[in-house]
Amino acid sequence: MKRREFVTASAAAAGTSLLGLDAMAETLAKRRLSPQDEINVGVIGVGSRGQYLMRLFLRIPDVRVTALCDVYEPRFAEGREITGEDTPVYRDYRQMLDAASDLDGVIVASPLSFHGEHMVTSLERGLHVYGEKAMGYTLDDCNAIVQATRDSGRLFQTGLQYRYAPWYREAIERIRTGEIGRVTHVYGYWHRNYNWRRPVPEPSLERLINWRLYKEFSGGLLAELGSHQIDVANWIFDEVPTSVIGTGAITFYHDGRETCDNVQAVFTYPSGGTHVFSSIIGNHNVGYQLNIYGTGGSVKLTLEDGSFYYEPARANSAVPQELIERGVHTSATLSTSGDMPYRGPGLPIEIPDGQAGNPNFLAVASFVESVRNGTRPFADEQVGWNSAVTVALGNEAIRGKRYVEFADHIGTGE
Amino acid sequence: MNRLDGVSARRPAAILALLVSCLIASTHGTAAQDSLFQESRPAMGTTVEIFLYTLTRDRAAELFEAAFQEIERVEAALSTYRSTSEISRINSAAAHRPVVTDPEVFGLIVRALEYGRRTSGAFDVTVGPLVKAWGFFRGGGHRPSAAELAEARAKVGWQHVAVDSTRRSIRFLTSGLQLDFGGIGKGFALDCAARVLRRHGVDSALLGAGQSSYLAIGTPPDDRGWPIVVPDPHDPTLAVSTIQLSNQSLSTSGSDRQYFAVNGKRYSHILDPRTGEPVTGMIQVTVIAPTATDSDALSTALFVLGSKRAAQLIEEVEGSAALLITDHGEAEKIVAIQWTEGLDP
Repeated sequence: MKRREFVTASAAAAGTSLLGLDAMAETLAKRRLSPQDEINVGVIGVGSRGQYLMRLFLRIPDVRVTALCDVYEPRFAEGREITGEDTPVYRDYRQMLDAASDLDGVIVASPLSFHGEHMVTSLERGLHVYGEKAMGYTLDDCNAIVQATRDSGRLFQTGLQYRYAPWYREAIERIRTGEIGRVTHVYGYWHRNYNWRRPVPEPSLERLINWRLYKEFSGGLLAELGSHQIDVANWIFDEVPTSVIGTGAITFYHDGRETCDNVQAVFTYPSGGTHVFSSIIGNHNVGYQLNIYGTGGSVKLTLEDGSFYYEPARANSAVPQELIERGVHTSATLSTSGDMPYRGPGLPIEIPDGQAGNPNFLAVASFVESVRNGTRPFADEQVGWNSAVTVALGNEAIRGKRYVEFADHIGTGE
Repeated sequence: MNRLDGVSARRPAAILALLVSCLIASTHGTAAQDSLFQESRPAMGTTVEIFLYTLTRDRAAELFEAAFQEIERVEAALSTYRSTSEISRINSAAAHRPVVTDPEVFGLIVRALEYGRRTSGAFDVTVGPLVKAWGFFRGGGHRPSAAELAEARAKVGWQHVAVDSTRRSIRFLTSGLQLDFGGIGKGFALDCAARVLRRHGVDSALLGAGQSSYLAIGTPPDDRGWPIVVPDPHDPTLAVSTIQLSNQSLSTSGSDRQYFAVNGKRYSHILDPRTGEPVTGMIQVTVIAPTATDSDALSTALFVLGSKRAAQLIEEVEGSAALLITDHGEAEKIVAIQWTEGLDP
């Protein structure tokens, strides 16, 4: 992993502003919540994702967004427009954590390379964390976040919202019952036709606003898009991969970006399963789809729905002896029908009335419920670690265009 | 009325063609570095189109993407066709318990209810069940039975939506009520997209949704405004008015396409929420207002209210103006309210 030096430096910086142990204990005691209490949330990173999450938190009764932190000042007005209040703003997250003593939790939606620092420090300050995915940029980041969560006794939920999508849950429950036989392969696609750029007011702000395009801050498409499908593959196989082979390139947009505009990675799981992931942002044809292949059928999941498909029945049967005695006919005909793609509708996953919902909202609502009740989030720090480490090692394979054994990096632990 | 050579003013595509030709003609004298770019995408149940002036095609592509992403964000929150939308969440639960929502959605609901109050129900954000009963959702139409109509009317009424501003919660006081932003959602989406474009420094753009709602940011370079043709609803070659839109919005309700006929009787696709019947006597209403949310709401409300109440409402909303074309049997009457320019003789 190439980014260890940054993580080490940031961990030291974070350490300078930690509260003493007594102060932390006092803070934790003060923040014991009852179900009726108002929950105050701060935001680190008020960009597009942070703003979207703020709206979702504000749809939950008795939740207030009471502090905003960003290094880019125009975000303050945008954030205040969303809260509808003169919400206090901070340019340094440590100032926010020092000054906003009423906080119960934080949303961390900063660029990926800062997740480790922002999440660990927030947890150490006794705050619950809703942390955007991927959980951390490096293996060290991910380990530190898991450790900080466990040491602090606070809750961590990773922003892998499809864990909360009713049609995903239904699909995986049915897969577990054997409805499509033994799952052997997951083929995940996230293709778009869009250069992934945000407008920049002046060139000096390029890396700040388009951080997703630069390796210093971003794990590229595998982190920003692939982490979701990687998580679902981990969920289906109920394990993390043992190896990955990857490749990627800048094929469409030669505009100075550093992260690939198309990546392909193949992950192998201990039980023999395979996850093939592809992200291309120069062609939209297949869009987002996650195809789960089993020995008896398939499931296709999209961002809005899902369907089951079943392999054709191949039951044999007893036939009269005379059938073969008459002889069988030979011809040169080659039938293509057996190899044509299935183009039928499939059997849609039905979600009962009243149980549908926006996965992002359901994830956030579940986090708030966990904070109120002290229950462990479904997408907890271990789920976050599993996906983020798979992303980090996948990126190592993509950047080196090589084969990476997980055991060389993570041993057999976690 | 002026004859529009070679275009049919009745057809939106032709209106747009005229608009584009006007824009191209108006680029004389433009600062050398700015060019006009255009992109359209399906959104909000129609086609949204954006024209803007900027330096390069790449810059334009980024700006279009930012604007269309904002429109998608709004649609994802407001669409009643998406079970995952915020409005679907409110509609499914608000009859059972108060539903808290975010300040933006809450603000829009309050604004829609305020239009319900100001127009005595001529604009009604809960009109959906009536629209459905008349079969207008998919462009068709049929007269519902008396029982069907009564059932639908029982589920309509903006006054049955209770809001709690302290908690930002919505509660339906009658079961079966549904919020539907078909009337102002397009305008609201344009307002949001325009805010995003302005944030990115755009000072010259025209945004349109389905040709019924337009929002102008600034003017084309060295021009008075973005030219918009209000067509004569009866004669495709004629314009009722041509105006120059600048930092304003314009919405049109009613046209020759929005009606259906039963036994020779022509029914408008716009319903009077107070009676449950299609509006008669009004052919087309165009409203100019400071925001597209306002122009959308006003054009629908005025279509229902008629010309007598229209003047009072327009005077109440600062910066608004209206042009109504009413049906008087063989003749039609054009009523201009604070509409000071561009009336074609």
